Amino acid sequence: MSQADGPGSMELLFPGPSEMARRMRAHPWADTPMGDPRTWPTSLRTACRICLTSRFPMIVWWGPELRFMYNDAYLPLLGSKHPALAKPGPEIWPEIWPTVGPMLDSVMASGEATWSEDLLLPMNRHGYLEETYWTYSYSPLHDDDGTVRGVFTAVSDTTQRVIGERRLAVLQDLGAQAGRARSAAEACRLACRVLERAGADVPYAAIYLRRPEDDEPVLAAVAPEGAEPAPLPDAPGGWPVAEVLRAERPVTLTDVAGRFAGLPTGGWRNGPTQAMVLPLAGEIGSRAIGTIVLAAAAGRALDEPYESFLALVARQTAALVNAAMAYQLQQRRVEELAELDRAKTAFFSNISHEFRTPLTLIMGPVGELRTALADADPQVREDLEVVHRNGLRLGKLVNTLLDFSRIEAGRMQARYEPVDLAAVTAELASVFRSAIDRAGLEFEVDCPPLPEPVHIDRGMWEKVVLNLLSNALKFTFDGSVRVTLRADGGQAVLTIADTGIGIAAAELPRLFERFHRIESARSRSNEGSGIGLALVRELITLHGGTIDAVSEPDRGTVFTVRLPFGTGHLPAEAVVRSGSGETSPAGTEPFVEEALRWLPADPAVEGADVPGPGPGFAGPWPVDGGTPARVLVADDNADMRDYLARLLRPAYQVSVVGDGRTALEAARAEPPDLVVSDVMMPRLDGLQLVAALRAEPRTAGVPVLLLSARAGQEASIEGLEAGADDYLVKPFSAAELLARVRANVELARMRGHHARWRDALIDSLQEAFFVCEEDGTVIEVNAAFAEILGYGADGLPYTPVYPWWPAETDDPEAHRMVGDTFTRLVEVGRGTATVPLTHRAGHRVWVAVSFNDVTDPENGRRLVVGTLRDVTAEHYAVQRESALAALSVRLSQAGSRTEALHEALAALREVWRARQVLAARWSGDGRPALATTGPDTGWEDLPAGLRDSVAGLRDKPPLRPVVTGPGGAGITLEHPDGLLGVWIDLGQNRPFTAEDQTLLALLAGHLGQGLHRAHQIDRQRETAVALQRAILGPVDLPDGFAARYEPASRPLEVGGDWYDIVPLPGDRIGIVVGDCVGRGLPAAAAMGQLRSACRALLLQEAGPAQVLTALDRFAALVPGARYTTVFCGVLDTATGRLAYASAGHPPGIVAEADGGLRLLTEGRSTPLAVQPGRPRPESSYDMPARATLLLYTDGLVERRRRSLMAGIGEAGAAVQHGRGTPLEDLAGELMSRLAPPGGYDDDVALLLYRQPPPLEVAFPAESGQLAGVRSALRDWLARCGATPWTIQNVLVAAGEACANAIEHGHRDDRGGPVRLRAVVTGGGLRLTVTDTGRWKTPRPEANPHRGRGVMLMRALAGEVTIEPGAAGTIVDMRIRIPR
Amino acid sequence: MTTPLTLAHTRRTDGTPALIVGGEIDMSNAGEFAAALSGTGDGTVLVVDLTDVGYIDSAGLTVLFDNTGHIEVVANPLIAPVLAISGLGDLITVHGLDAGPDGGPAAGGLTTG
Repeated sequence: MSQADGPGSMELLFPGPSEMARRMRAHPWADTPMGDPRTWPTSLRTACRICLTSRFPMIVWWGPELRFMYNDAYLPLLGSKHPALAKPGPEIWPEIWPTVGPMLDSVMASGEATWSEDLLLPMNRHGYLEETYWTYSYSPLHDDDGTVRGVFTAVSDTTQRVIGERRLAVLQDLGAQAGRARSAAEACRLACRVLERAGADVPYAAIYLRRPEDDEPVLAAVAPEGAEPAPLPDAPGGWPVAEVLRAERPVTLTDVAGRFAGLPTGGWRNGPTQAMVLPLAGEIGSRAIGTIVLAAAAGRALDEPYESFLALVARQTAALVNAAMAYQLQQRRVEELAELDRAKTAFFSNISHEFRTPLTLIMGPVGELRTALADADPQVREDLEVVHRNGLRLGKLVNTLLDFSRIEAGRMQARYEPVDLAAVTAELASVFRSAIDRAGLEFEVDCPPLPEPVHIDRGMWEKVVLNLLSNALKFTFDGSVRVTLRADGGQAVLTIADTGIGIAAAELPRLFERFHRIESARSRSNEGSGIGLALVRELITLHGGTIDAVSEPDRGTVFTVRLPFGTGHLPAEAVVRSGSGETSPAGTEPFVEEALRWLPADPAVEGADVPGPGPGFAGPWPVDGGTPARVLVADDNADMRDYLARLLRPAYQVSVVGDGRTALEAARAEPPDLVVSDVMMPRLDGLQLVAALRAEPRTAGVPVLLLSARAGQEASIEGLEAGADDYLVKPFSAAELLARVRANVELARMRGHHARWRDALIDSLQEAFFVCEEDGTVIEVNAAFAEILGYGADGLPYTPVYPWWPAETDDPEAHRMVGDTFTRLVEVGRGTATVPLTHRAGHRVWVAVSFNDVTDPENGRRLVVGTLRDVTAEHYAVQRESALAALSVRLSQAGSRTEALHEALAALREVWRARQVLAARWSGDGRPALATTGPDTGWEDLPAGLRDSVAGLRDKPPLRPVVTGPGGAGITLEHPDGLLGVWIDLGQNRPFTAEDQTLLALLAGHLGQGLHRAHQIDRQRETAVALQRAILGPVDLPDGFAARYEPASRPLEVGGDWYDIVPLPGDRIGIVVGDCVGRGLPAAAAMGQLRSACRALLLQEAGPAQVLTALDRFAALVPGARYTTVFCGVLDTATGRLAYASAGHPPGIVAEADGGLRLLTEGRSTPLAVQPGRPRPESSYDMPARATLLLYTDGLVERRRRSLMAGIGEAGAAVQHGRGTPLEDLAGELMSRLAPPGGYDDDVALLLYRQPPPLEVAFPAESGQLAGVRSALRDWLARCGATPWTIQNVLVAAGEACANAIEHGHRDDRGGPVRLRAVVTGGGLRLTVTDTGRWKTPRPEANPHRGRGVMLMRALAGEVTIEPGAAGTIVDMRIRIPR
Repeated sequence: MTTPLTLAHTRRTDGTPALIVGGEIDMSNAGEFAAALSGTGDGTVLVVDLTDVGYIDSAGLTVLFDNTGHIEVVANPLIAPVLAISGLGDLITVHGLDAGPDGGPAAGGLTTG
């Protein structure tokens, strides 16, 4: 054979400049079984031509040996197997031949095409067995006789997409585990179960967690379960988990195969050779919590995408573990708090019911008995003393608890008076001397006089000293108890040291905790409520002092109390001038009695000098008149019934009944002079009894005295409202009962004694009570009133404005609320309200007030009578709950950190009705980033005072409220991006109370958690976007285009929207925007396939309508691709002609330079695969110069309750508005401008193009180039629609810039590169000329000619900037094109 | 692509020597242009006819400024703005400078922004 016909003929057979065309022309075909190409069948020659001229990877197999031909696009797919031209297939592809061989054979034998989609072919083309996926069809090639002689294939390497989708699924699977784990270990196991399912990408994983004791990593879970790779004998070691945990930096291992034997392969033929060991990041600001080992599958090189996937796996795993840890911690705290609350609440609510009645029944009779049996048998008397002591003990316990509730409610009435503390303390200590002596202990009291008096409340100090001494005695069996008092550093220092059993170090921190009892091996008594020391600490705190304890087991304990001298630390109104009272000996009795009982009996102290029941007990009161009054007693407790009867019988004629119903019947039968009734009774309770008696005229006038164990706030008013005449709360003394009975009997007989009746009534009330005159002047209050507000009867009358009325300057809102209620009180005379009042001590008290007007029966004056109930605790609880709930709701709706912060600030503003709430975030040293509920302001624009307040937060520890004065408060918290300071600007002088501070701390804590949660969402969002991009594949947008993809924000999910830009031969570009139905992975997968198919079709030079018709057939085969909408266009950038067709897709929008708007509504037909086989229409549109085209998916414009056309109209207006904006900026602007408030709820793709595309000319710095550059620029300007005069001016201006670049920019570098770039917008154009040399500063006098050039530039172009830089000079010109 | 430039010495009907210039003048051929202008040197006025010039930049203007002693210039509407901005008309006679093209702006007529 010869090549006689010359290269021209070979050029025809194998056309084009491509490498493979060259190779095929040069190949010695004649020496192969294929023979001279000119003898080849037409079909083979045609196939070769198609192959060589296509940009799509294609191959031709020919002949019985399936010899292999391919094009340039196929080169990267072939890897190191190139060159392989005309080699037999099995020689090139031995590793996949078992799969593809039979397929090729079947095509050769049957002549029927095959279709393979995402077929796994393990190829060895880069030196290792690689996991690759392919989508292709084998089509038969016939020779001129019609015999199948070869196979033609267009292939698509879908590896990236298949693997990308698979990895996305792994990450989503991991993400789906969020919130399931209840412990860190469980989170690790869950993560490993997910990774076990992901063997193809993570054949082996191991999670190690930091052990808190020694910071060593400990294996927590592995995947697959039970995998135990054994380190090889001479290997460099196991996994470097400890190193990674210390350094907190990931390590990549490439010698894995040399380190371990038996690593799981994840289903691949070879075991892993590479792995990453990554730290598991802790919460922001804390150390890594562990490490994770992730082996890489041998089928994929550990490239950058693989590494970032593994990093994402580590990040997701860390998030799971952190969330589980946070959950555990939170759970523990919640349980602890709940337990404490439960214990406390149960204790307090039970105490009055359970203790008061028995206490009455014990102490009353015992008091009587001790008097009556003063001369009785000693044994009897001793028994009586036992009862008496126990009664005292119980009373002490109840009193302590009452002290607590007073302290908690801020109602402890303290009187701090200056005393000689040494004398007082020594006197108190002496009370214990006999008990300590009797215990055989040494008692040392060393209290020399102090240099100055100390201000104390005597009652409280007594409790402090006695509690501590009692405690010392209880736990000391040998040695001594020592009391010393000294002055030290401006403080009085009391130490009480014992040589007792001591306290274990672990228990010390909880020593002063309420209800916490230290379980000790040995003590004198097992009794104890666990509240004595807690009370001591509270009392000392009230004194502005401190207490601490030092102890050593078996050596003893030292309590040290420090009280400051002076009065500066005490509330001024509670300080009294001089000591008036003495230590009440009665208060010490319970302590001593109790202590003595721990000790062995000593006859010497029997009948010790303990005070009697007091002089009040005088026996039954004689009743005036002849016949004794008849008293009906109703009580269901037989003991109580008998006790009452015994008390009353000497003076009255008593009948007793066991319930209300019997009482009513008895009273009806014969009305008594007085009914004494318990409130709680079966069948008919006391209140119902009163009501029933009042309802009948015969019994309406019978006075009723109610007895109750209920000390609740509403009980007394309830009783009195029901019509009872008097009310007595248990425990009561015999004398008290008799006095009341007598008074009521007398009252019943002497109607009209209103003043006495009222005194009795008011005194008996447990609830705060007041009477005021018509003008609001308060003329009567009771003791409870004084307790709640601090203002007692001694200050009467209180005229408006009352001293407890919050001042307008301090708190206008509270002032107004009280004012409203006051107006109602004066004008209407009846009502209820809950209002904030100011206690005498200065703190805020919330009270529920209810009032009614009455007419004074004596003088007919109108009075208002009311009651107050302290609801402070309830009020703040409700406020906290509702504020927390409001904040939670707002946070839960936020989809990003910014949004969460914004919502939270608004919520805080509502809680405090603040003027504004600001947040400053410091991340570096510079100015903080500012967010505010007010108008957007920069940091510098804040008023100086406010700015200082906010800046002052910066060095404050987190979650501690900062109040510097009235009018505002702040707090700091950890934000994922740095420290966040939040400032509440109240906008007026309003106090920020202790309760407000608690609430702020609580809300800030909540906000911190919310921000962390939002931070996680942001991270997941980034992950989702990154993965969608991985599926969309890298797209280098040609000049003149801008595009955006955004996944739906709630729920955060990838979707089926896509865009594509396909450069075609000449100046043509294919543009596609499409939208697959559905969401999540299935939609993304279908999208990936449609996108590839569409791209391939466009590359085969199909027109838009043809592309869509072909896609119809394809979409019918791909799951989830049906009903996809697509806009497909082919744009000629030289002429602006856009041929397009739309498969049910929303119309493209064009904003023309003159402000006109056009919708590309033609060329429309149905979505894909709805009517396959039907031809589709096509239309075209000539884009005028400087017009802007917007293609998009419906997520951009579709909103609920709004027509699609309205959305398209809004998008059109936005493009029109931005037609003068550079394209990249416009894309961002459109995405944010059109976004609904909560973010896009569907995914969005958009594509922008502006005619003509930018001009980019690069030329060597030689003057001979200028004419060519001008010519190109002239053509481009004409395409921009510029007038000849504008063109001329721009040419000269640009020419001067280029000439400058040549002449000066490249003085030392002739021929260096110069770049000219011109970009058009709707209103004008922008030109930049860049060189890489140095621009000479223009000096017109030295070089008039160059100066003239710059002058021309400035005169002809509007805005000219010349930026000389190290790397070269940039001349930037902006020119407006008149319409 | 080199910049096209034609230079033809001739005499007008009144006998004045004239240089008919066509094409474009930039830094690549300014030297050639300068040579054609400085040729006479006998003090007579040379009419430089730029009617067929489509482009002139500061390099060409510099040649004109260097020869203001003995030339008059005939401009065309397209290059008139550049000549006007340069201030050449203040030194020598430039014909066709005032007449802006129909509907087109004269010197400085380019709106900028």
